[in-house]
Amino acid sequence: MTIVGLGPHGEPAAAPERVTLLPQDIAAARARHLRVAVVMHTVQSDWAKHLIQGIVAVLGDCGAIVIETVDCDFSPDLQIAALDRLRGERLDAIISLPVDNAVVAEAHKRVSAAGIKLVLVDNAPTGLLPGKDYVSLISADNFGLGKMAAELLARQLPENAKAGLIGFDADFFATNERELAFARWMEINRPDVQLTTTRFSAVASAGTATEKLLDQHPDLQGLFVVWDTPCDEVLAVMANRQITIPVTTVDLGHNVSVSLASGGPVIGISAQQPLLQGQAVARTTITTLLGRGCPEWVALPGIAVTRETVAESYQTIWRTPAPREILRGLDLLT
Amino acid sequence: MQNPKTNANHERPRGRPRGGDLVAASLCEVLNLVRLGQADTRQEIERTSAFGRAIVADRLATLGELGLIDEAGTGVATGGRAPRLVQFCKERARIVVITLNQSALGVGIADLSGRLLTEHHEPGDLAEPRACIDRISALVRWIVSRQAKMTDLWGISISVPGPVIANPAERFIRTTPDFLHDWGNSGLVETLLREFQAPVWISSSVEAMTMGELHGGAGQGETSMLFVKTGKRIGAGLVAVGRPYHGASGAVGLIGQLPVTADGQTGSLDRMAGTDMIEAQGRDAATTGESSALAELLSRNLPITANEVCQAAQMGDPASTAIISRSGHLIGGVIATLASMLNPSLIVLAGSVAQTNDILLAAVRETVYGVSHPLVTRDLRIVRSQMGASAALLGAASIAVEALFAPSVLRDWILSGSPVHHPEMVESLASANRSEPKVPSVAPPPPAAIRT
Repeated sequence: MTIVGLGPHGEPAAAPERVTLLPQDIAAARARHLRVAVVMHTVQSDWAKHLIQGIVAVLGDCGAIVIETVDCDFSPDLQIAALDRLRGERLDAIISLPVDNAVVAEAHKRVSAAGIKLVLVDNAPTGLLPGKDYVSLISADNFGLGKMAAELLARQLPENAKAGLIGFDADFFATNERELAFARWMEINRPDVQLTTTRFSAVASAGTATEKLLDQHPDLQGLFVVWDTPCDEVLAVMANRQITIPVTTVDLGHNVSVSLASGGPVIGISAQQPLLQGQAVARTTITTLLGRGCPEWVALPGIAVTRETVAESYQTIWRTPAPREILRGLDLLT
Repeated sequence: MQNPKTNANHERPRGRPRGGDLVAASLCEVLNLVRLGQADTRQEIERTSAFGRAIVADRLATLGELGLIDEAGTGVATGGRAPRLVQFCKERARIVVITLNQSALGVGIADLSGRLLTEHHEPGDLAEPRACIDRISALVRWIVSRQAKMTDLWGISISVPGPVIANPAERFIRTTPDFLHDWGNSGLVETLLREFQAPVWISSSVEAMTMGELHGGAGQGETSMLFVKTGKRIGAGLVAVGRPYHGASGAVGLIGQLPVTADGQTGSLDRMAGTDMIEAQGRDAATTGESSALAELLSRNLPITANEVCQAAQMGDPASTAIISRSGHLIGGVIATLASMLNPSLIVLAGSVAQTNDILLAAVRETVYGVSHPLVTRDLRIVRSQMGASAALLGAASIAVEALFAPSVLRDWILSGSPVHHPEMVESLASANRSEPKVPSVAPPPPAAIRT
């Protein structure tokens, strides 16, 4: 699987295998008694939980203690306060997922200026440079995820269909990339499809944005939602209105997976690999703390999931058997 | 895309300077003092400009009405009342910046201080100019639509992968320069002028990246810097006495054409050390099995580009390391000649090959330090750019800001409050609006194979 996107500054992608830890590296790290904090946009989503799990496990192997995992609840103010507070904790590294762009940029710069290694996940605020203001960005190939979601939806769209794109109204690298890639793929490969875009500013308002979109465009024949948690809100609105148009989204969250297994409305998901991403984040953190160079952008490819592959993909991505609801949706239970 | 807050004054009187010219000149001087941080209170402006109190008060009032300066803040009191701070309104308008290279395009948006606010990069193919221009237009529309507080658009500045020969008499370009094969008649500039009704500037990517590095990267505060971009083509930019050096006709740093010799072969630096050569040698090493890392990629039918060779080298693959080292020594030889002539204090290496691994940097350092006169290298630093393609975007923003606020240009639009009303810009827009698109910008029918 190749990476189709570019990094936040146009960097070519490096595979996660570029950052490896040998037994002697792990021994060296253990001798350092490292202390790390993780600052997340949220810790509520399945994706976030597995990313943290991957980070914590590898850091644990290296004897690095995670002293705190902060839930910023998508709030720039909470994130700025958390980063400023953690700067005083004499940490070796902070792993952060910046919740916005310009608003949180200076707070992140202050972390690296204080001599704390800063490793970014999924988003790099404009103006921060790798190697100078932060070590590396580790993200999924979000451009690839958007393209994948477009391919999956296009299969279900009749000629000259109208489709809706429900994006995130924040300046956020990952969701910007998905939105742009989805629209570009449609423009090139399905120019007959008329695309209408709306955006929500918070997950809780995704439903309202969908209501408005469906009011204005009752003839939509397909939807793409930039990730699974707001997609749950979109699905609730659709169920309420008894609308069953095909939907694609990103990430194999529980509800969208059940919908996919049960035959819709979700008909395809481009999935990230949060556990592997978390492991790559931790390896990058240890590598830089051992004084070695790291790639500027480490990217993980996505996985295209259809109803036929949802059970096995669930196991691959979440490292756990698929729930009974999914298996029941696939008629795999008697 | 302009706020209707200006009183257009399109016709500049010719002949003897009149009152308007003198007012415009003093407005330019006061604005640039504030904009460049040389004065931030009325007293400092009076002291620095030698204008009297009444003139300064009048000009500040005018600039305030035009939305170009703001006096809302207060400074530090030095006995008595705290002075009012005079600040440049960098949020008054936005500049869209675009970078094109052989395999990617990037777009960003900057404020009037040249600070990049957001950026996006994606793969692109310059071999298809029309599709590329359509995509650029779509991305500009997207990035403008994503601004929470979009003010006027005062310019679009583009960095392109080829030399741009400027006509010094033309302050606002109307047509697309022939910077690359098939692009001279592509209608890039004409399309952007027509669609966004804002001035367009085009500069070579090396010039833009040099400016970006000078303003936001390793070159900040440097007075003599040599910037070298490695890639399919290899080019250089020069900063002398703190300013970019443009040469007689803008054709500075075309070092890729210079002949070099290695292993009994002679060819241009581009051909012998550029990414095409790295890729070709990487494929050879994969086919012969000389490189196990690249051979493994080949066995999996994965592409082998210069990027894969760089990554394999960084992971310790001996054959890939040798390929990158050879390239670095050849580039280093040419840089050593330049350094010996110019005696820069800083050399910055940029481009994907330089930025994905340390081996090229090490080989260049080894060669330059090895063959140059000790006086040349005594305080010389050779570093890798950390800015990626952002350097080109940041540099493009700086080029636009400098062009907009150059006194010779500023004096002809300042009284109208917007560069869009500059007389030559008005003519450029009229010309663009009269011209028809060369080919319909309707997307082609879907191809048989799915494209990315």
